[in-house]
Amino acid sequence: MSVPNSMRVGPFCASVLAKKKYMILYVFLIWVTFLPAILEIWWYWQMLWHEDRPLHFYVFLPLFLLVIYVSIVFLAIIFTKILLVIISVFHKPREGVFLRDTSDKDYRYWSLRNTLKKWPTWLAHKFPFPFLDNVCFRILGTKTKFSNSLFEGWVDTEFMEFGKNVVVGQGAIVQSSVIIGNFLIIRKTIIEENVRIGAHVIIMPGTHIGKNCILNTWSSTMVGQELEEGWIYNGGPAKKFKKNRFFEDIPIEKLSKSIGDIDGLLKKYDEQREARGTTKKRLLHRKDKEEHTTEEKE
Amino acid sequence: MNEKIEDEQKDIEKEEEDDNEFVIDFTTSSAIHRVSLKFLIVYIPIFWFSGLAVATFWYGYTISPVPWIIKLLFLPLILLGFSFLFIFSCFFFSKLLLIFINLIHEPKEGIFRTDKGDTDFEFWKIRTEIKKITLWLIRNWPLPWIDVIAFRWFSIKMDFTSHLNDAWCDAEFISFGKHVTIGQGAVVMSSMVVGNYLIIKKIRFDDYALIGGQSTIAPGTHIGEDTVIGAVSTTTLNQDLEEGWIYSGIPARKLKPNKYAEMRRDIIHKVDVDEEEKIETEHEVNIDDDKKHLIKRKRGGDNK
Repeated sequence: MSVPNSMRVGPFCASVLAKKKYMILYVFLIWVTFLPAILEIWWYWQMLWHEDRPLHFYVFLPLFLLVIYVSIVFLAIIFTKILLVIISVFHKPREGVFLRDTSDKDYRYWSLRNTLKKWPTWLAHKFPFPFLDNVCFRILGTKTKFSNSLFEGWVDTEFMEFGKNVVVGQGAIVQSSVIIGNFLIIRKTIIEENVRIGAHVIIMPGTHIGKNCILNTWSSTMVGQELEEGWIYNGGPAKKFKKNRFFEDIPIEKLSKSIGDIDGLLKKYDEQREARGTTKKRLLHRKDKEEHTTEEKE
Repeated sequence: MNEKIEDEQKDIEKEEEDDNEFVIDFTTSSAIHRVSLKFLIVYIPIFWFSGLAVATFWYGYTISPVPWIIKLLFLPLILLGFSFLFIFSCFFFSKLLLIFINLIHEPKEGIFRTDKGDTDFEFWKIRTEIKKITLWLIRNWPLPWIDVIAFRWFSIKMDFTSHLNDAWCDAEFISFGKHVTIGQGAVVMSSMVVGNYLIIKKIRFDDYALIGGQSTIAPGTHIGEDTVIGAVSTTTLNQDLEEGWIYSGIPARKLKPNKYAEMRRDIIHKVDVDEEEKIETEHEVNIDDDKKHLIKRKRGGDNK
């Protein structure tokens, strides 16, 4: 459900501050995003506040606050994007292995980019609107589809590529940059369609995960590891566990062996419904359908 | 004839292999938050109505004839009250929505397809989305104990002696005993997405269960009384953990019997056997006389 404090890793960007003067830009960003919001509030006040009949003002206030929150997030994203574009004119972000030292230009600009991205990502993630998160990802440079669910995990915002229907589990970490000793490694991470990443999984930069993969909980990948298409992986570093056949059409009886007594469960629900005196047409209909399909297969 | 028998055996082996492939002995996640307009439509009435409740009280506060210094003095307290008013009215409206949705489609356990047409899957998504918002609100407020109220409000059996504030926890098909502790960053899932299938099954925690930090509990797990699961361990689907053992690992295996449970009860039954006279005598050690009445005795202690 809600992400707890120890797992809500919030901003999807590393928090290394290479130079203290980047903080000035960060504060400037916060300042700029609030200016239009204040203008909006003033406009709302002018429009609807009336000393004699305050009803209009108060009735639409909650909705308006929601709108203001959304608009603040969008403003933050847009201003950050503008700054990022200006920065990328001076120095283009690129992959590779760099020195973790302020004399290294790539390291400095990587830190600056992450410092700037922190504000919009934090804002977008602060409220459980998954769509704001996705918009933030898209605009800040992660290739992702709206069918993905990245909300519960920690995902880097640059050099990432997601296919369709990817699920990142609770507390999972998907990185494209990592600091090891004196080095900063940036490599593109590619995750293809229908990948299900389990809870607490750690994916290192440069990992390429093929289609229809499943990662068990607590597994982790190495830098630059290639995971083949259509397998279930387990362990750290991730190794092949067994072939993934859960994307096929499996007869439910086979699955029900591992889940336990499914017919008994359904019967229980039926009895409960009968006790309540309601009909269960839908269930019966579904059962008939299942029988039909099994007969056809036979 | 022999060939036929061999063929049959091969078929049986193949079937067994197939069965092994379809056994779910791993754990993934249930974090599906697909973006669709439904979610916004659900959120807007909840926020609007509960915001209205706060706005009316705020209006009353602004027009009250109390001198402004006293108003200012009580402003922090009133803001705190308003925040709780907002949270609890969110509870109320989301519960109303939930009841309405559950009337249309009853939540149930089982295996479902994660297709767009599957009603079970779609309703599961709406349910989680509605519950998420209120749980998020209450967990982000600096009173960590009251999220038990939220879980109870969504009709989960729970007690104030249990604690799961720092864990990710599904809000349906879970039952807690007394004195259950769930560690930081643990994930308790009663639903799991495997490939094209959604699996929902009830999790049961018995009394005094203890889950370590960052561990993952899969759907269908039953955790017995006095069982401890170590940090960084997972259970698999439908795993049954015996009572009174310490488990750890991925997947969780028996490590050793849980002797700390007896110490926690402040009572150790010690059996002495006199070899010559063949008499067994039972003592109770590690207990103060004035605390004896507090102990819930387990093994026939009431008779003595």
